[in-house]
Amino acid sequence: MADSLDLTRRRFLGAMTTGMTGLALSRLLMDDFGVVVPPGAHFAPKAKQVLQIFCPGAASHIDLWDHKPLLDKYDGTPLPGPIEVTFQGKNGNLMKSPWAFKPAGQSGKMISSNLPHMAQHVDDMAFIHSMTSRSNTHGPACIAMNTCFTREGYPSSGAWVSHALGSLNENLPTYISVQDTRGEPPNGKANWGNGFLPARHQGVSMAAQQALRNLGRPANITLAEDDATREFLRTTNTEHAEAHRGNDELRARIAAYELAAKMQLAAPEVSDLSREPEHVHALYGTRDKNPLKAAYAKNCLLTRRFLEQGVRFVSLYCASRASNVDGLLNWDAHRTLKADYDRHCPVFDQPTAALLADLKQRGLLDDVLVIWCTEFGRMPTHQVGTTGRDHNPDAYTTWMMGAGVKGGMSYGATDDFGRRSVKDVATCYDFYATVLHLLGLNHEQLTYYHNGVNRRLTDVHGHVIKPILA
Amino acid sequence: MRILLSALLLAPLVTAAADDPASVAFFEQKIRPVLIEQCYECHSTKAKKLKSGLYLDSKAGWQKGGESGLPTIVPGKPDEGLFLRFVRHLEPDMEMPPKKPKLPDAVLADLTAWIKMGAPDPRTESTSEVKRADKSWWSLQPLAKEFKHAEIDGFIDAKLAERKLSRSAPAKPQALIRRLSYDLSGLPPSQAEVDAFVVAHQADARQATEALVDRLLASPRYGERWGRHWLDIVRFGESNGFERNVIVDDLYPFRDYVIRSLNDDKPFDQLIREHLAGDVLGKFQPEIEIGSAFLVAGPYDNVDNQDSVAQKVIRAATLDDMVTATGGAFLGLTINCARCHNHKFDPIPTEDYYRIRAAFEGVVHGRRTLATLEQTKAFNAAIGVLNQERGKVIAEQAELTKAIEAKAKALLAARQYPRPKVDSLLTEEKITTVAARYVKLTISATSASPLTGVGGRISEFEIWTDEPTPRNVALASNGSKAAGVKGATAEDFPAAYSAALTIDGDEGAQWYIGRPAELVITLPRVEQINRLAYRTAKGRVLRDNSQGPTPCEYEMFVSLDGKAWKKVADSYDRAAWSPAHAFERVRKEATTPEVAQRLAQLGPQLAAVDKQIAAVPKLPSAWVGIHQPKPEATFVQKGGDPAKPAGQVVPASLSVLDLVTPHYTLKANADEGERRVALANWITKDNPITARVLANRLWHYHFGTGLVDTPSDFGFMGSQPTHPELLDFLAQRLLKHGWKVKALHREIVLSQTYLQSAEFNADAARADKHARLLWRFPPRRLSAEEIRDTLLATAGELKLEPMGGPGFRLYRYLSNNVSTYIPLETQGPETYRRAIYHQNARASIVDVLNDFDLPDIAFASPKRANTTTPLQALTLFNHSFTLDMAKAFAARLNGPDPIGQAYSQALQRRPTAVERSAAEKLIARYGKPAFCRALLNSNELIFIE
Repeated sequence: MADSLDLTRRRFLGAMTTGMTGLALSRLLMDDFGVVVPPGAHFAPKAKQVLQIFCPGAASHIDLWDHKPLLDKYDGTPLPGPIEVTFQGKNGNLMKSPWAFKPAGQSGKMISSNLPHMAQHVDDMAFIHSMTSRSNTHGPACIAMNTCFTREGYPSSGAWVSHALGSLNENLPTYISVQDTRGEPPNGKANWGNGFLPARHQGVSMAAQQALRNLGRPANITLAEDDATREFLRTTNTEHAEAHRGNDELRARIAAYELAAKMQLAAPEVSDLSREPEHVHALYGTRDKNPLKAAYAKNCLLTRRFLEQGVRFVSLYCASRASNVDGLLNWDAHRTLKADYDRHCPVFDQPTAALLADLKQRGLLDDVLVIWCTEFGRMPTHQVGTTGRDHNPDAYTTWMMGAGVKGGMSYGATDDFGRRSVKDVATCYDFYATVLHLLGLNHEQLTYYHNGVNRRLTDVHGHVIKPILA
Repeated sequence: MRILLSALLLAPLVTAAADDPASVAFFEQKIRPVLIEQCYECHSTKAKKLKSGLYLDSKAGWQKGGESGLPTIVPGKPDEGLFLRFVRHLEPDMEMPPKKPKLPDAVLADLTAWIKMGAPDPRTESTSEVKRADKSWWSLQPLAKEFKHAEIDGFIDAKLAERKLSRSAPAKPQALIRRLSYDLSGLPPSQAEVDAFVVAHQADARQATEALVDRLLASPRYGERWGRHWLDIVRFGESNGFERNVIVDDLYPFRDYVIRSLNDDKPFDQLIREHLAGDVLGKFQPEIEIGSAFLVAGPYDNVDNQDSVAQKVIRAATLDDMVTATGGAFLGLTINCARCHNHKFDPIPTEDYYRIRAAFEGVVHGRRTLATLEQTKAFNAAIGVLNQERGKVIAEQAELTKAIEAKAKALLAARQYPRPKVDSLLTEEKITTVAARYVKLTISATSASPLTGVGGRISEFEIWTDEPTPRNVALASNGSKAAGVKGATAEDFPAAYSAALTIDGDEGAQWYIGRPAELVITLPRVEQINRLAYRTAKGRVLRDNSQGPTPCEYEMFVSLDGKAWKKVADSYDRAAWSPAHAFERVRKEATTPEVAQRLAQLGPQLAAVDKQIAAVPKLPSAWVGIHQPKPEATFVQKGGDPAKPAGQVVPASLSVLDLVTPHYTLKANADEGERRVALANWITKDNPITARVLANRLWHYHFGTGLVDTPSDFGFMGSQPTHPELLDFLAQRLLKHGWKVKALHREIVLSQTYLQSAEFNADAARADKHARLLWRFPPRRLSAEEIRDTLLATAGELKLEPMGGPGFRLYRYLSNNVSTYIPLETQGPETYRRAIYHQNARASIVDVLNDFDLPDIAFASPKRANTTTPLQALTLFNHSFTLDMAKAFAARLNGPDPIGQAYSQALQRRPTAVERSAAEKLIARYGKPAFCRALLNSNELIFIE
């Protein structure tokens, strides 16, 4: 029943669209300065789409990716130098990682044994071990990892990319933010906000547990009534536009309603995971007994479907914000590192690895650049009175893989204990200069005027990290 | 990049004098950036290797041309000259810029238009670019005093005539009353008002219009409309932003103050002074003091950061918000750009940034009492008597308790507690083996309180079997269940804090003990057990004060049926947790009946006094900021880094305006309030830029675009005015009116320029697409607030009273260390107020309003975006708010001609025959709500002309 109605609707919408002389509807959308034409790439891109995987809460570099053998050796002894007071207070002695590191892949990259599935991908990954952050606080650091500014109000990288390159599939949002079932990351929607860019560049929230807002036809309105109302509206608006020629906004708004109608068909379709065969569900772990893992696995699978359909930029979150329940909702292991990461790693590991394997096997990594982010690292010491680690903005790890990235390599390094980045020290500016470069964009040329400044994603900093380019 | 988006803006202009400001503005905005970005790498004095001998970084450069000897650019003739041919890829192998995609069509159109205009190019120097403003910059000059014209229209007409354009005919009265009503009140007129105006307009257009304008300016709706504009400019937001984003519930008095000030036509120089120093200028006058809440209406970081370097960075950012807001709102200067280095574009040295910052050095975010002197005195008098009474009761209680304590001490000395005290890591009870299916723990005290178990925490509870290999049968994985009330909730995370956490085998998360403080574990079957234990600590190794209170007085019971309980253990032979806990154990024994009786009387007495104290109305307070009289010294921070202090500065004005307005310098230790008063006076007395910026804002909101279209940036990176003389003229008028804006509104909206029709004219549009020169009134879409208010008004649901007071919310506010704002699926009648009264939290999702470009107020928003998106359509078409309004609207259509009534209420006009028949069809099939839903989504409803 639903299907046949859908078909009728499809034809109806098809007929409407031809009225627009084959011009892409989105080309009719407007903002303050006229018809929307994305500026486009500055040079030939290596990647066309971006998948960002974000583990909020400051996922510990020295317990996941950055092997520090000396930390094992000096476990329980003081970190050289004066005792430090960091975000939550005093630090105790050095504390080794509760998990052994094991070599993986051809490259023999040492990786935490708590990530057995992710270990399969190390030969495709380029690690950046020398990241540093300007903030030691989750919220500002999270948005810095997304916007390069520690305060709110600046466009996220996805918004910049949407602005620069536009849409590949006008029936779906250009930039989708897939949030964790546990909630939003620190500082919430500022992480995928449009800042001062036009509103249409903001990340649109969609996840397995949360449909696009206001997408669905209202429950008590039939499809026929919906269509008839829409048709009346279209006629009314068309007549009004005819009588007010020279106002492009009026036509733009008619087009917006037609696009919305198309989105109403396309979005549920792409979100329908029941179309996936059982072995795919098994690969991701969507039926896992652990409800958090199953929920995240569904979001991973959904993410693949978005990318397949040409969504330009997808941000996929694994975990959420800080709360009174320390370390429970995200990677913020202040007190009980072992218990916390024994909870988080199994949620993250298999589904993420499956997503990467699936993208690879479908050839999507030819176009998709994958970037893994967190906001900062953790101290090699334990926090006084706990078996957890405090915030460490001076060292953390990110990685990239996929389109244009050299696999099986590690860039930069931290000191012997992972306290500070010391070799080829990198920043979010360098990180995004590199991301934009892979998308064919010069990070110094991608600018937008706001309140007195031609703003850039990379502020006034940033160098492309060339060694990790394929 | 807005430059590239503007395919049509200003496109082919008729040839103009190359040096007129509009042409130069066009060059600066459209052409120079393209040349810099695309050409300078190879064609400038900075090029590593100059190609073809051609310079494009000066006018002389392209006039001279390259090695080929052929003309590069022929002014006025886009078809000649190599430049355009190369960039349009018309010459094989000479495509420019090389190895890059062709420039977007929009850019090519700009370049063509520029050459057609005569290639105006102000770049005279060939060696170095003029890349910044100096003190001769236009906006930093004194106001002009003599003008060629005596009225607004003269300036507009002259500029139009230069372009061979002219103003349109006067607007029709229907369009005009809609335009004026929205512009001055933000609401649509009623059909009756339209009808009356049309009649009056026919009789005497001038008089009718003046009467309408006067009525609208006198209406309280005016302050609600223009107050909203001002709140955008001063970055007013009702949560602190950043990570925690805690809602601020007592900043609304500032919003009401702004509305009231506008309705009262308070002179703006006074308003600005009150914003910066109302607390000093109007001490004990709450209606003036509240103005200075401006300083603390911005976002600030309130996270509890122990790192001392981070604390300084946060404080610097907090003060930066005040400097930024002040510079942008009042002066149209981006002073904040000079925080890390001298301003790159405007003549503002970095020292000046810190001189201005010094004015705010003592301002701290927070709430404080805001009352008149009389109120304060009355309050102190009323509360003083009661406090005395209270003191007496408490003193007697203390005396009695002292006696009890002495007795208790003696009793305790004779007691023995053989077992060690409770341990947060593990409290264990070895018991005689017993068969049990149910185990109960009741708690009567915790380490935090000897009087109650509520508030304690347990991370694990264990029940061990009597077997060679004992098993913990309490575990949920064993099939056991835990029941207990929890004392805290996280609404968006139901599993948090629950009793189930005591048997999850994980010592991380804890049960927060509620009332009654009792835990019951049900085993799946009867077991022989001999050991019970619980833990409060998270993890087994180290103690940690974040673990919360440990239960320390308890009893343990077992049962086979869950009804008959047998006590198997308690804490009473353990050492007491603290002297206070020990005292509680013997309190009863140590109290004589007489003392007990007296205490029993005193308890209610105290409660009664407390009740009286609570009943004395509290002095009003508000989020108006706290001021430290002797602030820290202010230092220049190298690179904006608080860890790198350079020279000390004193509070002083910006040197950039020294030539046009008197400078001030204060002593380094000047009083906090004195600093802000000095700054406020400097900004508002004889400061040409302040009046200019304000006059431009008025123009911006009346016409959709300012004479300067970057209303908070009059610096080099901002735009130049389209009509510089008119801008100064308006600023002078404002001063003439004593900074009262209603009179200036009146002059603007009664000008023929404003009153002209919005009718499209293809020829004029070809010359000036966006009507920046005002050959017509520029039509506009309604703002977010106007759209929501209009839906409510059309449906007959808009409540205009109460004006002001606490705002309504279109989200659910959740707070659990950090805050979450969850948009409401249904917006009830309590939200049917004007949108300005929405509690304007930062980083919240607000359906309809956000979709239609209500900005997130991370920054001031002197100019709103105006976008058209599919998500907008989804929201307005599908959100329950629209459906509710459609239903209410439909219910109003109860007259003999519902369709006529609908058009009249929504659009203030009669339907055409075609519209009527289409509406009849839709209503016949699906009812009036469907028809109303369509009308509420219609373009005509939300566009005015």
